[in-house]
Amino acid sequence: MTSTMSMTTSATVILAAMVAAYVLAKILKLSTELSILAAALVGGLIGGAGIPARHIVEGAFTYLDICLIFITATLFMNLLKEAGGIAFVIRRVVQRFHHRKALLFIMLAVVMLIPGMLTGAGSVTVLIVGGLVASVLGYMGIPKPKAAAIVFVIAGLSAAAPPVSLWAMLTAAGVNMPYVGFFLPLMIPCLLLALATIFILGWKAKPADLDQILKELPEAPPGMSWFKIALPFLLFFALVVAGRIWPFDFPILGLPLMFAAAAAITLALSPVHINVLDVSRRTVHQLLPLIGTLTCVGILVQIMTLTGARGLIAISVVTLPVMVVILTLFLTLPISETVLMWGAAPVLGVPLVLLFNTINLNPIVALAGMSIIWPLGDALPPTAIIGRLTVETVGMKEKYGTFLKYCIVPAILIIIVGTLMVVFSKKLAFLTVF
Amino acid sequence: MNTLRKTIIIALGLVLAAFAGISFRASRFLKEPVVAGPSVARVATLGEYFAPIKGTANDANVFFLEGAKPGGTVLVLGGTHPEEPAGRLTTWILAENAVLDQGRIIVLNSTNRSASTVTRPSGAYPATYTIKTDWGGQTFRMGDRWSNPLDQWPDPEVYIHYPSKQNLAYMDIRNLNRDWPGRPNGTLTEKTCYALIQLINKEAVDIVIDLHEAELQYPVISTIVAHPKGLDIAAMASMTLSDEEFKIGMEKSPAELRGLSHREIGDFTKAIPLLFESPEPFLDATRGRTDARLLLEGKDDFVVRAGKRGLLFEKIDAKGWPIDVRVGRHCSTLIQVLSVWSADHADKAVIMTGVPKYAEIIQKGVGAFLHDPAKSDPKKIYYE
Repeated sequence: MTSTMSMTTSATVILAAMVAAYVLAKILKLSTELSILAAALVGGLIGGAGIPARHIVEGAFTYLDICLIFITATLFMNLLKEAGGIAFVIRRVVQRFHHRKALLFIMLAVVMLIPGMLTGAGSVTVLIVGGLVASVLGYMGIPKPKAAAIVFVIAGLSAAAPPVSLWAMLTAAGVNMPYVGFFLPLMIPCLLLALATIFILGWKAKPADLDQILKELPEAPPGMSWFKIALPFLLFFALVVAGRIWPFDFPILGLPLMFAAAAAITLALSPVHINVLDVSRRTVHQLLPLIGTLTCVGILVQIMTLTGARGLIAISVVTLPVMVVILTLFLTLPISETVLMWGAAPVLGVPLVLLFNTINLNPIVALAGMSIIWPLGDALPPTAIIGRLTVETVGMKEKYGTFLKYCIVPAILIIIVGTLMVVFSKKLAFLTVF
Repeated sequence: MNTLRKTIIIALGLVLAAFAGISFRASRFLKEPVVAGPSVARVATLGEYFAPIKGTANDANVFFLEGAKPGGTVLVLGGTHPEEPAGRLTTWILAENAVLDQGRIIVLNSTNRSASTVTRPSGAYPATYTIKTDWGGQTFRMGDRWSNPLDQWPDPEVYIHYPSKQNLAYMDIRNLNRDWPGRPNGTLTEKTCYALIQLINKEAVDIVIDLHEAELQYPVISTIVAHPKGLDIAAMASMTLSDEEFKIGMEKSPAELRGLSHREIGDFTKAIPLLFESPEPFLDATRGRTDARLLLEGKDDFVVRAGKRGLLFEKIDAKGWPIDVRVGRHCSTLIQVLSVWSADHADKAVIMTGVPKYAEIIQKGVGAFLHDPAKSDPKKIYYE
């Protein structure tokens, strides 16, 4: 095909075939992950690569580490839930803060930011504190779709927040720029936007009726205590912090092992007997769609790169007029995230940062601005990986569209802030102090 | 029915995994022959300079090319980033062809050997590439920028560079050119840098040359990056080459960018580090179809379009950046640096012949300077 066609024509035909295969697979009611796989296989065939076993398997491993984090973090949370820890925390939080809405909101926003800040994954925020926060919000009269929107948006901001912001780190690595100077350009907007989100969407929340809530809440098992709940978290954070304080003496454990250690402590301290094999099986079953999607997205990116479809998307975006590029960031960033997840950073982020660099914008602030917009794509169908995880964790039964509707206002706010950070990046360069 | 469907899917998955596994294994264990050239006096391994490296994936061959007269010592590193093949091919040419009259050249073809045994997930790299020769062709491992996760895993959440404590992207803990000067109790890649520092000190290396390639969107390209103590050499070489052969710039190693060879080797040893960059369109983020042809021919319409849009730091047209041009630039730059150094340091001169220059490599092709192992003395063949 390529010998007789120009590279652009060839890549366009391949990309069109992949899109057609995806749409057809969805019409045939295949799952999202299988539809993505179908698109990748058709891309390989039309692109003249046949069924490239090496590329399919290699692509499937792209997000292996992230899958391991999801599995171990979810196992940790599920064990904590089985041990009665979640019920215990909800009861105590409501008892303490039920009559002080503003203070409760600030606390919840900060608590939600921490897991994603440390791990770079919004899904970890959702899995660790999402369900708990949504429960508290629910008892304050906030409907589940709205609570899910709060959890999702702040989880996305937590992932973009420093010190670990994967979009910024992957893009910076792609342009050989040290991951330095990002702390304030990421922290300030993430913190302010998280607070804005919870106050805007929770505006109509009412102070909780303590007696009624305590009556409806499940009882915590006897023997459960703050110590038993805090210890696994303390261990997890201690392992993370130890790696930072003593980077040259402390062994590199990796986040999956840290979560597994926290899970083991939870199991050991549980006041009730837990069937760990059963919980593990349920955890994997619960995460199968997420892991399947990540695996198939990895294959898709690999095949798109192999056939030139990825290059076509990248070159099409960066050769648009600069103002068009900046004004369409609200579309291109979330959509690329929807299709590629973190893969969007090397595919789209790298050429965009290089483009901004050539027109004399500050690449650090501009990249920070882009990094807070990217996570919004995690709510968009067809993949909607973190969005789906959020509604599942929150236990929302309403239509997915209802959840999306509540995300719109904070999303617009985030898009405006992020875009302004790109436009005025040079003037904001004073933020890049550490 | 459900069980049957699952069985079929598992069977298909196993078939796919088997084919992929065969391919992964074949490229990981591909034996790349090096025919030791006339000046190769001995071949050591990196593990001889730091025992914990012995027997690991990074226990790379170290070729010692020695002249009859004593002089200076130059270390040339190929394969710091194996996905930048001009570096490895240049050191191959050096090891197989160089004739030393004075001084010593120490050559590593696979500085980060582990990184040469893996390709990048989502990068769609070919497993191998073949350089055409009169005797058929020689196949090389494609490799990646980072050490193989099979040899070093997991990564930390943030890579904190030793000893500066600068925060770098987490995967760069497996990037040999972010791990200098290395540490003895670190990861495999950090230990490799530490072993190389021991080699530099023990062999009293005067100049270290680290061979790289870069995407055209990367501002540091077609240049010699020099530590402050090597600026005069880089400036003179750059001026002479730009006047006589091809345009090449020179840049001072930034003090705030840590872990790089051109900074840390200069700060932590007596040697002068220089890093050469040649253009490799294969690495560009906007590249089209990714295959061995793009790697070796360096032609890509999308990268050309990016150039027309003013997004590149190096020119590109329909002729692309073929591997012969890229290797030719490295060889000529190396020859010129040796010439500048030797002119100013008669007692530590390194006088070398037998290595082709830019024009000759473009005329004859890289393959003309690779030797047929089948027709060579088996005692002179080493495998990477």
